[in-house]
Amino acid sequence: MKLKQVILLFVLFALRSIPLRAQDCSNVIRGKLVHLEDNEPILGAYVWIHESRTGAVTDENGNFIIKDLCPGDYRLTIQYLGHEDIEEVISLNSANFSKTFRMKESSVTLSGVEVHGHQDQVQTTTAVSSLYGDELLESRGENLGESLKRIAGVTTFSTGNSISKPVIHGLHSNRIMILNNGIRLEGQQWGAEHAPEIDPFLANEITVIKGAETVRFGPEAMGGVILVTPKELPTQKESSTSLNLVGGSNGRMGNVAIEHIGGSQKITGLGYRVQGSAKRAGNIQSPDYYQGNTGLSEYNFSGSLGYSNSKLGAEAYYSFFNTTLGILKDSHTGNLSDLEEIIENGKPFTNPGFSYEIDNPKQVVSHHLAKLKSHYHLNENIKLNLQYGFQLNNRQEFDVRRGDRDKKPSLDLELFTNTLDVYVDHTNQKQWSGSIGLNLITQANSNVPGTGVTPLIPNYDMLNLGIYAIETFSKGPLEIEGGLRYDFRDLSTARFINNELDESQLSYQNFTAFIGGVYFLSPTLTFSSNLGSAWRPPNVNELFSQGLHHGAAAVEIGDENLNSEKSFKWVNSLEFSTTRSQLELTAYANQINDYIYLNPTGEIFVSLRGTFNVYEYLQADAFFYGVDLSGSHEFSDRMSGYFKGSIIRAKNTSQNTYFPFIPSDRMDWGLSYRFGEFSKGTKLTLSNVLVARQKREPDFDLAPAPPGYALVNLGLQKGFEIGENKLNLGFQIQNALNTSYKEYMNRFRYFTDDMGRNILLKINYQF
Amino acid sequence: MNTIKKPWIYALAALMFGFASCESEDPTPENDEEVITDVTLAFTELDASGNPTGLTFTFTASDPQGIELGNPTIETVSLDKNKTYRMQIEVFNSIENEDITEEIEEEDDEHQFFFLGSAFVGSSAPMTYTYNDVQLGLDGTVVVGNSSINSSEMRIVLRHDLNKGFAGASNPSFENFVQAGGSSDLDITFPVTLN
Repeated sequence: MKLKQVILLFVLFALRSIPLRAQDCSNVIRGKLVHLEDNEPILGAYVWIHESRTGAVTDENGNFIIKDLCPGDYRLTIQYLGHEDIEEVISLNSANFSKTFRMKESSVTLSGVEVHGHQDQVQTTTAVSSLYGDELLESRGENLGESLKRIAGVTTFSTGNSISKPVIHGLHSNRIMILNNGIRLEGQQWGAEHAPEIDPFLANEITVIKGAETVRFGPEAMGGVILVTPKELPTQKESSTSLNLVGGSNGRMGNVAIEHIGGSQKITGLGYRVQGSAKRAGNIQSPDYYQGNTGLSEYNFSGSLGYSNSKLGAEAYYSFFNTTLGILKDSHTGNLSDLEEIIENGKPFTNPGFSYEIDNPKQVVSHHLAKLKSHYHLNENIKLNLQYGFQLNNRQEFDVRRGDRDKKPSLDLELFTNTLDVYVDHTNQKQWSGSIGLNLITQANSNVPGTGVTPLIPNYDMLNLGIYAIETFSKGPLEIEGGLRYDFRDLSTARFINNELDESQLSYQNFTAFIGGVYFLSPTLTFSSNLGSAWRPPNVNELFSQGLHHGAAAVEIGDENLNSEKSFKWVNSLEFSTTRSQLELTAYANQINDYIYLNPTGEIFVSLRGTFNVYEYLQADAFFYGVDLSGSHEFSDRMSGYFKGSIIRAKNTSQNTYFPFIPSDRMDWGLSYRFGEFSKGTKLTLSNVLVARQKREPDFDLAPAPPGYALVNLGLQKGFEIGENKLNLGFQIQNALNTSYKEYMNRFRYFTDDMGRNILLKINYQF
Repeated sequence: MNTIKKPWIYALAALMFGFASCESEDPTPENDEEVITDVTLAFTELDASGNPTGLTFTFTASDPQGIELGNPTIETVSLDKNKTYRMQIEVFNSIENEDITEEIEEEDDEHQFFFLGSAFVGSSAPMTYTYNDVQLGLDGTVVVGNSSINSSEMRIVLRHDLNKGFAGASNPSFENFVQAGGSSDLDITFPVTLN
């Protein structure tokens, strides 16, 4: 049992206890924790002070002590597996506080997990928002992008209703980063129609860091970082299974996912997790018609094995993602006049009715990710970490072609990525903590021969080496953090142009730095500010695109001489939190120099197939700024409400024009009412999404921005306790009024209305 | 201690293997199979009873580079007024040396040529087209009327993956062909001189 205590202590280190050593802040909370039934002391329970963000773990005698507290009111939570949480508000005056707490065994084995798995994913002074617990449960069945829309400031850039890429503060694709259990996800993320290759059911928590985090995570983490974190591996004997069943009326979607975690009895510290999901959907229905060929099928699997003791921790992880996605048939246009005709029509020419069949055009994508991670505690203060990731991404895109070429992919890419992280974390009893590290990425991209189409991007080898140091200083309610990083990237490409080999050798390097701070203004109010520089080397498609982008009726021309993008992002966040109310305000400004964008040249390309618009990759300075606001309030024990909204402005400051596909102003608000008993009661939520028209349009767009829209959603959530097991039932109606609308951020707004009413049933059973 | 050391060996082995295997393949030249480089219209004059008379003459639109880089050259179609012609279309990919006409024939259920432009569309259009094949357009009859128009334009569109049963699609000069779905594989406008 000593082991668990040590682990929890390290968790607490990760949670950044802030020693409050200021003059009047030397008060102490002492406590003893015993079982309610027999007064036996509880060892290894977790005690947490919300306001000061400090905690402790109870010892053999059930005792705990939390020092260095200023006078004031504190919310104390005590958690222990298999027991009901204790929540208590303690008023500390000048005197110290001492109490014996009695803990009651709970019938549900895994209550309180929500608070556990939260906030320890990353240490940063930037604004962080997470999706976990009930909110994550409500999002089950949606893809990653759609799920993340629940976080203020995060929208999606989508291609139809099954492909959506998360957008953080107006940036997406190669300007943000997604981590699958700590490994940066490397697919062909440059493509607007290339969705992240990740199963949302993997996640026990999804965290969005809204700042420039290049120093910590490497180039491209410009707009923000998304961490998809699975459930922690057990370190003692326990076992639990979670089953999710989701059915949706629109597209007649079915989704099943199962996760099992277990800990070994024989070897203490050994635990495992296996998880899998399958999803099938057919043609999406807009209010007035079906969207032809918009079905999808997805199969995912992941497994993990971990071991930890007081000194050593090791984890092996593997995840497999596989999807077949149908692309709206009418979106595949042959030439510019085709494209103009369908845009003018405003909806598909065909209404094929419902079908599960997935025809061309379609994408078949698989992604393997394997990870080995290990850490070793050299001593109390120094921890060595080693993480290695291997990824293989295979993307095949099938077009509508003549003859049996239909069976051959038009694009067939194989991308290998290796990532190696070696870093040392240090902490000490005083105010300093931090880490220094080395990060190596090698990548090899190959076009699989035999497509019968000139490849869109060349074959290439990429190497990126980065070294960094981050240091945090905490004193009293203040915490300051700074970091520095140097990266070097080498890129060598090879392709054939008119049967002649064309090779390029390019290299990029950059320094990035950040400084940030958090100040706990009062027990309820926290202010954080972070100023960070970031960079992104131009991507291969931006450098080398040369030719027709099939289906988009566009000829895209890359530029080998593009410079790296460099940005400075300043994020400020104010967090207010009491037992009844939560409010979070984030304001940011992001200056990006040499921002790379696809610009219409105004030229028209003529061929036997018809005409095409010509686009070229250009660079200009860009300025993004905006605010996110989210909050919730409990009006009474039964009635509560929430609000989320975001405003973003983005401008091409070199040309004094606007960029395309910048999210318009939007908000989401709702009211909830609880019936029945609180723990297993029913919660009814009525919510309303309001999205304004994007008035700041670029000079050139194929179609004007669609009008604003309002959607009404309904949700009913009910929890049951069946013996020791837990059943959550969710019933949702999305777009309840079956409103016809188009979202500016959906590239298929040119061709079709968005999804109509969708009635969903979600069953979650934990046993 | 043994159990602890072992994973490190595996980890190291996996790491070495991973980095060693991480090199891209040499590129291979890819010939564009979908490309159409030559479209030839072959005209044969027909007599009153529909039998061919005289020699067959051709007009070609060609783009040797294919779609990707091309700048097509399109010959002017020259026909006589008050005559009836059989018009056959040949489609060719000179890059791959492939006869695409055959492919279109094989997939006659998902392909269809439409004949548009001022030559065919409008009440004063000087020419009419009728399919000789099953609503495909590789083989057809062109009737040049007695009009005062001496020059005109013939727009030839090849649609792929359309609904041939769509109301109006049986008309070879159906202007709203896009409504039948599908996408354009060819869209060429030949200048026409009528003698």
